[in-house]
Formats: sequence, structure tokens, C-alpha cells
Amino acid sequence: MSILEVRNLSVQYHTCQESRQALDGISFSVGEGETVGIVGESGSGKSTAMLAVMGLLGDSAAVSSDGITVCARPVQPGRDIAMILQDSLNCLNPAVKIGRQITETVRIHRKCTKREAKERAEELLDMAGIRSPKLRMGQYPFELSGGMRQRVAIAIALACEPRVIIADEPTTALDAAVQVQILHLLKRIVEDTGTSLLVVSHDMGVIAALCSRVYVMKTGRIIEAGTAEEIFYAPVHEYTKKLLRDTKGHKPFPTHPQEVHLQEEHLQEEHLREKPQPPLLRLEHVTKVFGTDEGIRDVSMEIRAGEVYALAGESGSGKTTLARLLTGLLAPDDGKILYRGECLDAGKGKRAWNGKSAWNGKRAWNGKIQMVFQDAYGSLNPCLTVGQALGEALRAQGGKDRLTPAERRRRVEEMLCMAGLSPEDADRYPDEFSGGERQRIGIARALIPEPELLICDEAFSALDASTRKQVLDLLLTIQKEKKIACLFISHDLALIRQVSSRISVLCQGRLAESGETKDVCSDPWHPYTKMLLNSVLPPDPLKAGKVRPVFAEEGTQGTDSGKGCPFAASCGYAMKCCFEETPGPYRFGSRETACFLYSEKHTGKRAEGYTMTSQI
Amino acid sequence: MNIRKETARLVRGNRQVLAGCVILGIWILLAVLVPLFWPWSYSEQNAEIRNQAVSLPHLFGTDKFGRDIFSRVWYGAGISLLIGTASALINGCVGVAFGAAAGYAGRRTDMVMMRAADIIASIPSMLYVILITLVAGAGAGSIILGLCVAGWIDMARIVRGEIQRLKETDFAAAARMEGISRIRILRRHLLPNAAGPILVNLVFMIPHAIFTEAFLSFLGLGLEPPAASLGTIIQEARSQMLVYPYQMVCPLIVLCVMLLAFHAVGTAAEGQLRRGKGR
Amino acid sequence: MLAYTFKRLAAGLISLFVLATVTFFLVRLIPGSPFQSGSVSSQVVEAVEEEYGLNAPLFDQYAAYMGNLARGDLGISYQEPDTTVAEIIGRTWPVTASLGTAALLTAVILGTGLGILRAVSKRKAVREGIAAGGMLLAGIPNFAAAILLLLVFSVKLKWFPSAGLLSPAHYVLPVAALMLYPMAVISRLTGNALAAEMDRQYVLFARAKGLGRGRILFTHALKNAWVPVLNYVGPASAFLLTGSFVAESIFTIPGLGREFVSSVTNRDYTLILGLTVFMGTVVILVNLATDLVCAWLDPKLRRSYSGK
Repeated sequence: MSILEVRNLSVQYHTCQESRQALDGISFSVGEGETVGIVGESGSGKSTAMLAVMGLLGDSAAVSSDGITVCARPVQPGRDIAMILQDSLNCLNPAVKIGRQITETVRIHRKCTKREAKERAEELLDMAGIRSPKLRMGQYPFELSGGMRQRVAIAIALACEPRVIIADEPTTALDAAVQVQILHLLKRIVEDTGTSLLVVSHDMGVIAALCSRVYVMKTGRIIEAGTAEEIFYAPVHEYTKKLLRDTKGHKPFPTHPQEVHLQEEHLQEEHLREKPQPPLLRLEHVTKVFGTDEGIRDVSMEIRAGEVYALAGESGSGKTTLARLLTGLLAPDDGKILYRGECLDAGKGKRAWNGKSAWNGKRAWNGKIQMVFQDAYGSLNPCLTVGQALGEALRAQGGKDRLTPAERRRRVEEMLCMAGLSPEDADRYPDEFSGGERQRIGIARALIPEPELLICDEAFSALDASTRKQVLDLLLTIQKEKKIACLFISHDLALIRQVSSRISVLCQGRLAESGETKDVCSDPWHPYTKMLLNSVLPPDPLKAGKVRPVFAEEGTQGTDSGKGCPFAASCGYAMKCCFEETPGPYRFGSRETACFLYSEKHTGKRAEGYTMTSQI
Repeated sequence: MNIRKETARLVRGNRQVLAGCVILGIWILLAVLVPLFWPWSYSEQNAEIRNQAVSLPHLFGTDKFGRDIFSRVWYGAGISLLIGTASALINGCVGVAFGAAAGYAGRRTDMVMMRAADIIASIPSMLYVILITLVAGAGAGSIILGLCVAGWIDMARIVRGEIQRLKETDFAAAARMEGISRIRILRRHLLPNAAGPILVNLVFMIPHAIFTEAFLSFLGLGLEPPAASLGTIIQEARSQMLVYPYQMVCPLIVLCVMLLAFHAVGTAAEGQLRRGKGR
Repeated sequence: MLAYTFKRLAAGLISLFVLATVTFFLVRLIPGSPFQSGSVSSQVVEAVEEEYGLNAPLFDQYAAYMGNLARGDLGISYQEPDTTVAEIIGRTWPVTASLGTAALLTAVILGTGLGILRAVSKRKAVREGIAAGGMLLAGIPNFAAAILLLLVFSVKLKWFPSAGLLSPAHYVLPVAALMLYPMAVISRLTGNALAAEMDRQYVLFARAKGLGRGRILFTHALKNAWVPVLNYVGPASAFLLTGSFVAESIFTIPGLGREFVSSVTNRDYTLILGLTVFMGTVVILVNLATDLVCAWLDPKLRRSYSGK
């Protein structure tokens, strides 16, 4: 018997200018105790569908259907059906304590006193895997971490005593490790309470890890439906196949990792033969700290000309701080950043516009380091046309031999063509483009000053899998052609694995491990790297189902400022010294790791030609 | 979000803005044309036609000195508009410059500048105007000066907030990376993005200045005769308010409609701006 | 929180010092003497000025005044020789304050009420009517409103008395004239803020968990919508409490504002200064109170203040 039954649901959006068909007669059902997934890219109408089911769409939407029922009754929000949204920060009221937000839900659904409701709320928080629920009840949403807030949202959903829970992108905003925890929690809740679960996601991995039945959506229609095995192992529709292919990244990228690797070895040989050339960019013990625990500490690394270097880490690991240091928007508190052997810390102590000390020399790098931002729209000035924005960048580079407007225009058009856009796009404003096109403009903007190093700060994580692949292909082609060094900053290890030759893993502001990408990813030495790798959900129900959370409770991670290994609190291998001393980087050939497991103290005195192997 | 395009769309697409603009246009036209072509002058006294009621030759009647009120009202409306616009423009420029500088500089400069503004703002602005008109003598100049002592602070605060927000955006960071100079970043990249709030605030500053001027004149601290603004005309009629109420009601209505038109444009623009942000 | 309050109070003292200094010298720039009136001979004027110490070097006078001010002594009025400035304030301030408070309360209650009504009403006519009415009222200057009210309700209809502040009936017209504008603004701000809150994600989530629209509005949205409203109410109440020159002048009410206008026209130096300093103090205190209430209502700010 199906708990949730949706038949022939259509939604049209009416605005004053036009009407748009968002959903076109979709039907689906969720059986008792079943976990069903709906997968589709952004714009496929999956979120609209869920809001339509809940009856929460605004006035501009016209909904028609042959019946939406929960337990054979028409849907009423909160009765037998509950919902979890993606953005846990915004879906909790910032001005109301966690406790009240749960108890008020409890009291809608069962008649009870305030005390009983409070007890029930604590029980629910406990069920959602939050330790010390009493403490959390008195806190406000902003005082909790992202994963915790999502647990609170789940507790609220459970307070509705639902027969079915709709989870709309429940883990998209979370780190990989936390994502695995939340998915496990959802799985456990389904097992324990017998509720049905409807998961909506763009991420094939999430669907694979949870669902037994899957619907695939594209532009407002369901194009394929079947059991998880059918969809993942024997997809029929071309679109489903493409989705799977894009997430797996089977097709080799233009710059094959192997190729880059070879080319780079070749380069290295050349270096050895000729005089030792300084690396393009070198960081020596760079530290930049905000407050007590944000920022980076004692980071050293080298980026060579023309290589693709990757920086991996979760949110809060200091990736963005590092990017801002490299581009000269911030100055380090301590340590040196050398660009072609030239040290640029002259601006130290000078106050800059953003209140943090920064480089004074505004042309410090002379535009030779550029960045592609995560939020393509935010990185483009909404008041300037694409042509004007690119022209501004060119104008600043000019110096004495400034280009004439006509020359500038020509260069802009060339660059747009190279980025896969048309020259006419120069006269359009950023809000007239789609997400993928905007990121192409972002790339064009970053490339037009002819940088030698391009930093991509999560530049592709906001894009859909298929768009991402196209834009990534484009970037790597240009990178190879122009021999630009590229620093890939990302939390997505699958992506990093495909594109980079060397990698550094950042853990809460410190380097945990660095080395050749293929070595680090296939044989991680640092427990943190291992956890990251183990949290990747493959689009394969069998494999994804086996991914287990590494540690249960978050919010305990992070020792106080700067002492000990940042990962110690969540590490299964933690020793006493991990909390008291900072593990120095231990170097073995091309690899480096900051973990006491590789210290001489732990492994004992080593012979000269000792080959270190993974200790975990 | 092209500014010119947005403004055009705002005026065309919104009846409220359109109505406001039409009324303002008519008011400005009358304020210019009536003193030029109306048979009665605003200052000529005529003892024979004192305190006449509304009639065909004297559309709004005459006052206690036998001056034609219709002519006086439109002359006064012109003066009021002039004072309002001039002081709003000065306040706007000062506020934008001050706020942009404070917001862009940040840190200590910002703190010192905004503290200074706070001190100026903590004094009821009416005091300045009154004191300055007394010190500098009654006249349009001293009223504008008085209005400009503290009038720019709201604008400065708004602009500072906007610039502070905008300079943290990715596109500002990108502009810095490209090596564009600071002044150019502020002028070309940040300020145009703050144009919406600046314009809305500017629209509201005009009626506020007109109102303050009218009110001062009403207290007897405004322009010296024979010059007249709407406030002085209302003030002059006050002594005979109970006997000849129309002498007061006519200029009052002209004033109110003018202020309303500004407010209509301002609120509609504000609403548009808010909706634009939600998009 | 306490440290923050002290910091703000210190800043307020600096503001007052600057205010007193500027006003002191500005007042002296006004042409004419406080004792010059009608046919009084210049010898007499000089003699009186001598008596009041007005012929001493300006800086000495300034130092003496500031010294007295620091001790809380505002000096003696020149126009009413035997009354101190403090006494005049004591006489007029309660009148102004009671009028201002009454106007403020009605404005806040009616304004928020109308704002909420605009946000919850399902009928388009109600929503647009409130919006249009608010705009209309906000466009009418308060002295125009006062005059029109006086003409209609006092002169024509004779419902309410036109002058003084003796009985509750006397309050009706001045309060009405004073509160119309703030009420319109408050209703607009409340309505806009609530409408913006109702579009937020947490409202969607609250609806998904089964909360009704009314419950969401009152228990959730209002908690976040007060910021812009309070930011307006603070300065507006400061304005109302320091004397509404308009209403007091039109309805002949012996309040602070009227006293101020007459002190300026009389060049009563000490009274102008004393009133300015007093009004400045009230404004600074009210603004501080507003900020403290804001901080107290916003959990994030509250935590950050109490944490450090």
C-alpha cells in the first residue's frame, strides 16, 4: 500500500509577462517504509514538485492534479507528512530558540503540557543523534554547526509524527563526512520508525546510498523510473546514462592525469638538467588567523609553472583564506609568499580597505595570479556589461602602453570566443546568462589579464554535473594550451582526482598531507585524508551503501587554537601526543604528512633508505 | 541591472511613479509660468482688493494686503522647490562622498568619521536651522545651509552600509586582483551598484527639505518679505485663519500635493528596489 | 552589555560637550543683545550685560559656563530673571513629554496594528487601502495636519478645544496631529518587514511542519521584523520627546518646543544653551536605549555583547 500517492501533477508559473510550465503531469508514489529517490539537475522541477505536494507553492503557481494523497487523505502540511529542506540555516528561525521550535511542533501534533512537549523534544533530539539535547534546546540556530542544524531540522520533522518524510536536498550544503552521517541518520530513522522517505537530490551518490526505488526527472517530467539497481546498473533513457557518466567522470578529460604527470616529470627533468629554476609560487610557513580558530597555520607548499595543483579540504579548512592570500587580497600574519622567487611582504602592517592588513602594492602580482570564483554571478559586477567588465581588467593591465578601446574590444571578443561564448555577448549583462555561461564569463574574466597562475576556488561545485563537465573541459583545454598553472581548490575529491597532478590536503588550517595526487588518493597516509576519501559516495547502490560515517558526533572537532593535531578529536588513531604537540611535517620522497604515526618516535629509528608505507 | 534601463522601466511600468511625475511636472511648469505670465504680481499690494474670496480673476482670492494668492502660491512653490532640490542635491553629494569614503576606508578612519557623524546627528536638526537662520540672517541661502548641516548624515549612513557590503563581494575582490586602482573600483564598480538606495533616498530628501523649510517659515524664521515660500504664505494667513480659512487652505493643499507626489515616487521606487532584490 | 553601555555613555558625553561648545559660540553670533528691547537705552543694556558678566572675555565666559554645566548648573534665564533654566525645563518638559509619549504610544500601537493587518489581510482592497493611506499621511506635513485638524474639528465642528492642555479632551487634536506621520511610517515599515519575513525559508519550513499562517506571523515573523521598525521608532521618539514645536505652537501649549522658539527670538543665551543641552541629552539617551533594546532582542548581538 502506498503512503504517498501523486497522480498527474502539473504546475504552471504565471508572472505578468509569461507563464511557464514547471511540471508536466508527473505521477509517483511512495510505499510504506520505502525510501524513494527523485533525481534531476537544477531546473528539472524537483523542488517545485515537493512544494506542490506539500501545498506550499506561492500564489504565482497554478497547481493541477488528479489527486495528491497521504494515507488516502488529501495532503495537509504537517499531518502524516513532514519535510526537510536543504538550507538548514535559513529554515530555522534565527530569533527563536531550538527548543521552542521543536516543542511548538510537538504541541501541534499531540495534546500535551509544555513539560511533556519538552521531554518529547529532548527525546527527538536524542533520536536525531544530538548529544546533550538539554543544552542545545536553549541555543539559537546560529550557535550550531551545519550538520547539527540539519539534525535539528530532522528532529522537527520527526515531531510531526509523519508517515512519510520528504527530504529536499538534505545534505547538499554539508561537508562529505557530515553528509555521510546525516544519510546514516536518515537510514536509521527509516529502520527504527518505519516511516517512508522521499529523497530529492541532484547527487546520484546520495540517491544510491539511500534509495530502493528511483525516479529520474528532467525539465518537469519523469523520464525514467525503476528500482535502484535498474536505474544505476541498467539505465534505459539516454539522459540517465549521461547523468551517471557525468558523475562518474568515466570519459577521460582532455588533459589526462597521466599525461599531465608525464609532462610534469619531463619538466622536472628539464629543471634538473638546467639551472634549478625557482617554482612559480612558493609558500613558506604562511600563517593567517582570524579570531581564535579560523584561518591557516604554518602552511608551506610549492606550485610549479604549468601544473595543475589541487587543494582539498572541507568547509572551514581555510581554503578560501589561502586563495585570498595567494591573490594578494590578504597579507599573511607570518611567513612568506614567494612569486618567482620574489618575496612580497612589503605591505605588512598597512591597513587596507577590508580592515584586515593586506598588500599595499595593488599591482603586487601585476595580475599574474587570477581567480575563478565559486559564485560566478557574485564575481561579476551586475552594473557592467560583460564587455565592460572584461575591458576593465584589460585597462588595468595596460600600464604605459594602454590599449585603445577598439583593441580592447577585439581582445574581449577573442576571449569570449575562446570561452565558448559569442562576441555579441559582450553587450549583455551578467543576469541575462545561465549558470554555466556565467562561469564561462568568470573564466574569461580571469584569463584576460594573461595570468600565470589561475586559482579555481570551488569554481565548479555550484554547477550541474553535465555543465560542470563542459566548463571543466574548456578550462583544462585552455590551461594546457596556454601552459597556465592552475590551483584547484575543492572539497570534491572525485573531481580533484581527475584533474590534478599534485595535491595538498588541508585540515582546519593545517596541511595534513601532500604529494602526487595518484599516490595520496589511492593510498592515503593521514587519517583525515582517509576519512575524506571514504566519505565520497559513488553513484553505485552497492558501494554507496557501504560507506560508513567515521565519527558520530561533530561539534567536538577542533582543539583550541593551534595546539595539537586539528584532527585529533575525531581521529581513531589519536594518541596522547596528538592533543599536546603539533605533528611536524614528515617528508618521504615526494610525499609529506603531518601525523605522529609517521614520526620517528612512533616508527622507531629509520635506516637511510627506508621506504615509508601507510600506517593506517 | 542597467540603471538607465531600470529607471525607464520604473517610470513606464508603475502608475504611481507616473502619476507622481506628472503632478510634479505640472507643479514645476506652474511655478515657472505663473510668475512670468499671470496678470497679478506676487508682491504688488492693492488696498482695494483686500481679503477677497475665490473668484475668476483671483483664483485663490487675495490676502490682507490685497495681493493675489494664486500668483503668490506658485511663486512660493517655486522657491520651495528650489530650496528643497538644492539642499537635497548638496546633502546627497556630501552624504555619498562621506559615506563612500568612510565605508571604503574602513577601520579607524571609518570609526572616526562615523563617530563625528553620530555627534552631529545626535542634535535635533531643527536647532541648527533655527540657529543658523538667526546667525546668518533670514534668506534662502541660510535655510539651505541650515538644512545641510545635518541633512547628509542619513545618506552617508546608507551609502556607507552599501559600500561596506559591496566591497566584500567577489566582484570587488576580482577588480582588486586585476589591479584596478582603488578610486576607480569605488567609482566604477561599487557606487553604481549602490545607485538604487542612493536615488530612493535622494527622492525622499527633497520633500523633507521642503517640509522643513515650510515649517520654519511657518514659525516665522524663514524667508524675509517680500520673498515668499509656501510656508511664509501659510504663516501670513494664520492670523486670519478663522475668518478667511481659504487663504491658508489653498497654499496648504498645493504644498501637500507637492510633497505627496514626491512621496509617491519615492515609495514606489523603494518598493521596486525591494522587489528587485528579492529576485 | 554593561561595558557596551558605558562606552556609549562616554561617547554621549563627548557629543554633549561638542554640542554645548558649538551652541555656545553659535548663539553669540546671533546679532542683537538679550536685553535690547524696545526703547531701552544702550547704557542700560550695557549695565545689565555687565551685571550678567557678558562683557568678560568670551573664553572666560565659556570656561565658567562649562564649569557650571559640569556641576549640573544650567544658569539663570535672562528673560525671567528669577527663574533658573532648570526650573523652566521642569515646568515645560512634563507637558511636552506627556504629549510626546501619548503621541508615540498611539502611533506605535496603531502603526504596528495597521502594518500587521496589511500583512495578514487576504483582501487586496484592505492591503492597498492601508498602503495608500499610509503614503497619503506620510506626505502631509505635520503642521498642515495640525492646522487642518484645528480648522475642522475645533473651529467648524467645535468637538475639541483648540488651545491649552488642561483636560484629556485637550490632548486629542495635538496628539492626533503629532502621531499621524510616525503612524504612517511605522505601518509601512512593519508591513514591508513582515512581507519580507513571510518570504523567507523558515516560514516555508514552519508551514511544512503544520503551523498556521497566523501563528507563524505572530510567533515567528514578528520576532524578526522589529528591527527596521525599532530603528525608526528610536529617533522618532527622541524627536517627539524633545518638543514638537509645531503642535505646541499651533495649539498654544506651554511646552519645551515653544519655550525654545521664544528663547531664540529673545536671544536668551543661557536658556537656549540649557534647552539645547537638555534636548541633546534626551536624544542621546533615547538612542542608546533603542540600541540596547535592539541588542537585547537580537540573540546574536546579545550573545556577542555578553560574551565579551
